[in-house]
Amino acid sequence: MKTSPLKWAIIGFLKAYRFAISPLYGQVCRYHPTCSAYALQAVETHGAIRGVYLAARRVMRCHPWAAGGYDPVPQSHR
Amino acid sequence: MFGFLGDIGSAIMTPLYYAVSAVLLFWHKVFSTLGLSENSGWTWALAIVGLTITIRAALIPLFVRQIKSSRNMQLLQPQIKELQKKYAHDREKLTQEQMKLWKETGTNPFASCLPLILQMPIFFALFRTIDRAAHGTPKGFLSVKDAASLENAKLLGAKIADTFMKTDLTETRILTMTLVVAMCITQFTTQRQLMSKNMPADAMSGPYAQQQKMLLYVLPVVFAVGGVAFPLGVLIYWTTSNLWTMGQQFYVIRRNPAPGTPAFAAKQERDKARGRIVVEDPLKKAAEEAAPKPAPRVQPKNQPRAERKKAPAPKPTPKQRGGPKSGPQQPKKKPDITAKDPEKDI
Repeated sequence: MKTSPLKWAIIGFLKAYRFAISPLYGQVCRYHPTCSAYALQAVETHGAIRGVYLAARRVMRCHPWAAGGYDPVPQSHR
Repeated sequence: MFGFLGDIGSAIMTPLYYAVSAVLLFWHKVFSTLGLSENSGWTWALAIVGLTITIRAALIPLFVRQIKSSRNMQLLQPQIKELQKKYAHDREKLTQEQMKLWKETGTNPFASCLPLILQMPIFFALFRTIDRAAHGTPKGFLSVKDAASLENAKLLGAKIADTFMKTDLTETRILTMTLVVAMCITQFTTQRQLMSKNMPADAMSGPYAQQQKMLLYVLPVVFAVGGVAFPLGVLIYWTTSNLWTMGQQFYVIRRNPAPGTPAFAAKQERDKARGRIVVEDPLKKAAEEAAPKPAPRVQPKNQPRAERKKAPAPKPTPKQRGGPKSGPQQPKKKPDITAKDPEKDI
């Protein structure tokens, strides 16, 4: 589980996104850490499946009517 | 796995093909009723422009929300300045505190990625609709006849459904490259307008400005790659969308300039000339109260994440430790902006 190829693929994708695509839009995220930073951290600490689930929930929370604010990745309970 | 993902994708995209083709056909009908030839490239190009305007107009509510928020932002400026002074040494902590302040007051300067996430599949749906029409397999409400008309439509001798890569017309190449240049110019102008008029001088250095500068170099590359790979019709959509963004931003900078910027001073001048109430720059007042020389910015320490999480609150200054709690570092009581804003919980 520790060296799951899926996890590395997702992390690679997120890093590529943060390097090449994310700067295109500038800062738009209403949260800190930003959604992509959140996703990266979530996958790193909670693994591919739970990480993607957490990240998906975060992106759903990020809309103009949300208050935004400081919203860190929950601590691992393992 | 990929079959499953493909199913999700088509479940999202199928309604979009219908929506995009319906709006496209509506505008096509409007312009052909107005006297343009049904098979003319102009009719199809204008229909695509109409589609862009429809979509961007539908997204206006998201943008109005941003304007309201930017109004409240001006009132928060002094507190933001205070936080910047207090956490000058720790950017992570500064961002956290800033975010907390915005959350408490229901004010957030950022649009969230929802407008982008909404536009991306629409963009893709338009791409597929045009691309499929060019291959004779129409999507959504397009009939085989519409598809054939779109496939063969010519604008200034260039085919709307063709891409730079797959065309045998020089006109298509010239027109796609012209649009790439147009996109670069609009993007550059938007960016420059934002940076030169609506950014306080001290925001022009630092990581944010750095990121903005990088954009100026990255975006033309993205446009050039897109310009070569996407059909002319998609580039028309893209260019129109860029123009809309530029106009929208021009409007915001004129109506709601950020405090402490040349745009704010210009608005004060205009208001004075027209005999309107001149709003005082909240930042200037704060700057006069504060010491003239800001403390030099200290590089943040490189901490491993584990340590950063545990890190205690910044050390109180010796003055505060000994004396009463009325040091200059003590934050002032926050004005309750939310109480004044009945639209907060929309």
